[in-house]
Amino acid sequence: MLTSAPHLHVRRPSPTTAEFTVTTRPRNPTRTQRLLLLAVGAARLVLALGAGLLLYTEYWTQFRHPSSSYRQSHLWLLPPEQHEFLLYNTPPGRLAQEIAARTPSWALVPLCLCALYLAIRRIHVEERLLVLRGLGIQTRSTPGTILLGWFGGGGGSGAGAGGGPTRFIPTEKIRDVLINEAFWGFGVRYILVVVVEGEEGLVVVFPKLLPRREVVEEVWRGVRGCLFDEGGGEHYQHQQQKDEKRRKVKDSNKRRSATGKKSPALVKEKGGEEVRNGS
Amino acid sequence: MHPFSVVTLAIFVAGYGTARWDLVTRLYELALFAWDKGVISRSVQGFALLSLLFLVVLVPVQYLASLEADLAGSGSGGWDMPEHDGLMRVFWPADIERSELPGVIVGWKNSSLDVVVVAVLNHVDPKNVESALKTGILLRNAPHPTERISQLCGPRLSMSVLGLTNVGPDASLDAEPSWVKAVIDPYQRAPTIACAVASSVQIILFERPIPRNMQYISLNPIALALIDKEDARQPAASEASDAEEEEQEKLAKKKRQHLVEKLQQHSVIRHPPTEKDKVLPRIVNQVNWAWELEQLLQKNVPLIGTRPKRTLSVSERVVEQATTMRNYVVVQLWDFIILYVFPIIRAIFIFVLVGHRGAAEILLQILEWRPRPGSPALKDISATAQQVEIRLQQFCYWPMQYVKLRLRKNDWDSVTTSHPDYIRFYNSLWLVANDVIIGIALGSYIIDNAAWVSDQIGLLLQQYTVDALHSSIEWLMGWPAGLKLNKELALFLGDLFLWVIEYWAGCIRALQPVLPHIIWFIGFSSFGGASMPIAFSSDLLSLLTVHIYSFYLAAARIFHWQLTILLSLFQLFRGKKYNVLRNRVDSCDYDLDQLLLGTILFTLLFFLLPTVAVFYLNFAVARMAIILLKAMFDTQLSCLNHFPLFALMLRVKDPRRLPGGIRFELFDTQDRFAFDSTPTPGAPAQPPTSVIHLKPIPLSFTAMFHQYFRMGKRIRKHYLSPRVVFCLATGRFVPPINRRNLYSLQYSMLPAVRAGILEMWDALNSLPKMKRPVKVNPYLSNGGSARRMNGRRGAY
Repeated sequence: MLTSAPHLHVRRPSPTTAEFTVTTRPRNPTRTQRLLLLAVGAARLVLALGAGLLLYTEYWTQFRHPSSSYRQSHLWLLPPEQHEFLLYNTPPGRLAQEIAARTPSWALVPLCLCALYLAIRRIHVEERLLVLRGLGIQTRSTPGTILLGWFGGGGGSGAGAGGGPTRFIPTEKIRDVLINEAFWGFGVRYILVVVVEGEEGLVVVFPKLLPRREVVEEVWRGVRGCLFDEGGGEHYQHQQQKDEKRRKVKDSNKRRSATGKKSPALVKEKGGEEVRNGS
Repeated sequence: MHPFSVVTLAIFVAGYGTARWDLVTRLYELALFAWDKGVISRSVQGFALLSLLFLVVLVPVQYLASLEADLAGSGSGGWDMPEHDGLMRVFWPADIERSELPGVIVGWKNSSLDVVVVAVLNHVDPKNVESALKTGILLRNAPHPTERISQLCGPRLSMSVLGLTNVGPDASLDAEPSWVKAVIDPYQRAPTIACAVASSVQIILFERPIPRNMQYISLNPIALALIDKEDARQPAASEASDAEEEEQEKLAKKKRQHLVEKLQQHSVIRHPPTEKDKVLPRIVNQVNWAWELEQLLQKNVPLIGTRPKRTLSVSERVVEQATTMRNYVVVQLWDFIILYVFPIIRAIFIFVLVGHRGAAEILLQILEWRPRPGSPALKDISATAQQVEIRLQQFCYWPMQYVKLRLRKNDWDSVTTSHPDYIRFYNSLWLVANDVIIGIALGSYIIDNAAWVSDQIGLLLQQYTVDALHSSIEWLMGWPAGLKLNKELALFLGDLFLWVIEYWAGCIRALQPVLPHIIWFIGFSSFGGASMPIAFSSDLLSLLTVHIYSFYLAAARIFHWQLTILLSLFQLFRGKKYNVLRNRVDSCDYDLDQLLLGTILFTLLFFLLPTVAVFYLNFAVARMAIILLKAMFDTQLSCLNHFPLFALMLRVKDPRRLPGGIRFELFDTQDRFAFDSTPTPGAPAQPPTSVIHLKPIPLSFTAMFHQYFRMGKRIRKHYLSPRVVFCLATGRFVPPINRRNLYSLQYSMLPAVRAGILEMWDALNSLPKMKRPVKVNPYLSNGGSARRMNGRRGAY
């Protein structure tokens, strides 16, 4: 519902540079989808806050019992009275107290941690392949959680926000880029692999999503065209023509919207042009 | 030729001829002689043959060659026509000053369409810059030799003018066609770049690493461990079982290698790497140098061209005089220190160091001494000896490391080869300091409470190594867990072990009064680091549980014998026999009495087996517990000795100092935003441009703890393998893991062969002499204000 089948999105500002993105993010989210996403975001926030509050209550009741000398500690930003007020006099605090009192702590703590993990998990998977002629190929995928994007990838920001494991292979080391068949469960998948000089394993592009053959084929053509200039010009021209068309469509849409009419057919065409569905 | 000179020449020839008439006659005779012998006709023939050859062979070949050259020329192109794909690649520093003034771009030209921008110089004429670069004016006053620049940033390559910034369309007449024309917008990260010969442009923005802060980028992750010396160390003393495992590993590796070769034969079309692909490592160097070179160039910009001059004002002169006076005093003082005080201190220090080094050498020789080649040395047996050895090795290595780091100061900051050394050096220093601090706390605690600690330890010893064993054996002598054992055998075995334990308890009792002294000694040793008491306790543990070890050995032996006998008697039971010569089981005709006796013995032994097995299990569990305890001690030791503390701190403080590779990020180009706007007619046509950001990847945490992971894997492979379980089940001896194998981690920070005493002496004496402080003249050449005081500096 929230995710769609993996589909391809190509960015190619010049014939020698291209970025292929395979993502499960819906490409034209409908209104219900948007609302759902918003609801899920809010639910995650509530879940994270609730789990945090529960953990805090557990900590407070277990280790900071009023009888102990918590008043001496200045570790917390708020004075202890505030904590007490928060925990005993507000409705969520009282609810948390009740739950924490009823559940044994060996069950509560792991459950809360699970809830926190759920709250920071990513919904959509996105994997990118950046091809630069004269430099190399770079694969990149989004990490599993929101936090890992900040810590693991070294603070990815800017256009391609959200770090994640990145692998850059210089052209000198690329032996070949090819499509390979691989057994996956009981079926056969077509995977795009890069053969790297002097390395034992193959580098699989889009390892998490493993898109279908049509997508893989298109990416393969694009990569070869971009990297080795094999019929890449055509591809780029094709892309440019599409851009041109899209621009025209946009213009006409503008005109139409200015006159108060909107052609659904044209809008649909625009959507089909922008990205190609791989499923 | 001028007629007059012709006449002069004729007169000269005529005069010379009449004066030397005999020469003329001789020439005439020679000609006649040649004609008679047929020389002339032969030479004419030769000439004709050669010209024919020329016409028939060489002229067509030359024609073909020129045709081919034309063909190739149209493909790859020279200076004027675009390269085979017309891709212009510009590396542009993103943090360079963005000014709207016209300027000259200076940088490296790796090929005609592949440039790395170093600096943009404002207010200069490109021709002057070009000549200044050629004559080296712009690299004047370099702090270090300029040969290093070309050595690292590209041989046979020097910086040149790459293009112009912010020039109007009319001013581009005198520019060369391959020059880049950039328009810098102060509010945008990337400049707009156009080039007459490029059909598409890649602008790669990079944040310059600051060499002074030891930041740099690299294609490969920084190596925190020294080098992989594993292969060199391994074959000397690995046990038979380990060797077997390694053999298998090697086989698997070979197989994989074979597969990889197969794969490589499958490449359909080989794409020979282009010039642009090959220069990437050099570009990385150029990027690393960009900051320092830009500083130097900007400092030297005032030396180019004519500048408005004026003399110093009175106040400026006063300031100059004062600073000169101050500098004079400082220099005199400094000279005095350098000449008289410093050499003495230095000599004393070096003598002390070398003396220590000699003492360390003697100790190390003792620790490494092997009675026979192949037998274990002291450091392989004892944790304390190994700890001492590591400290001594570190001590031997530090001066060498320090000298290496000191020499770094005589080079440009941008040379990045010694940065891993720096991290290693300070990591080990810091770890030792940490170790000593923790050790002092621990040691003072132990010394203050020596009596109590020794009491506790004595109690623990008594409780666990004597009493617990005693009671468990007594339990086994009864009916443990309802098992009905053979009473007589259990009594015999139990009494045997109890008797030894009694004796051991007597030994421990004798040790009791000495224990406080030992504890005090351990406490004292911990002033040399908390790792020392840990190593001591590890050794003490092995010493004080020797009896458990021997019990385990004895029980295992008995159990194993019984099991083997049972196995062979079982073959007899089946009417078969193990054939040693053929290593197989043959059928065999036994006599009746043989069979009878064998069967009786088999039954007997089989019923006695549980009793022996129970005793064996008891001691095996005790032994495993001790191994576990020692493993914990070893883990603590390895954490204290080799935790990548400095690297972790750097990772948090400044990730750019720990490069783990590079990554690229594609930016949306401007035309996406300017979709609807039509291009302005006056501007030059913009080639398709992609803006890419080059970013360093910090080293991942997994790479930092790589050594630990490898050690963990090795331990797991040794102790959790099916072979070990099999050994345990059949009562065969489980060999403890080789210390050396375990501590490949420990040695990853030290060189395989330590430097000798003489080498150290030479290295210490090769340190450069102390230099005077660089002339500090805050008024006139303070770095920050230099740029704004161009005019004045010209006058000075």
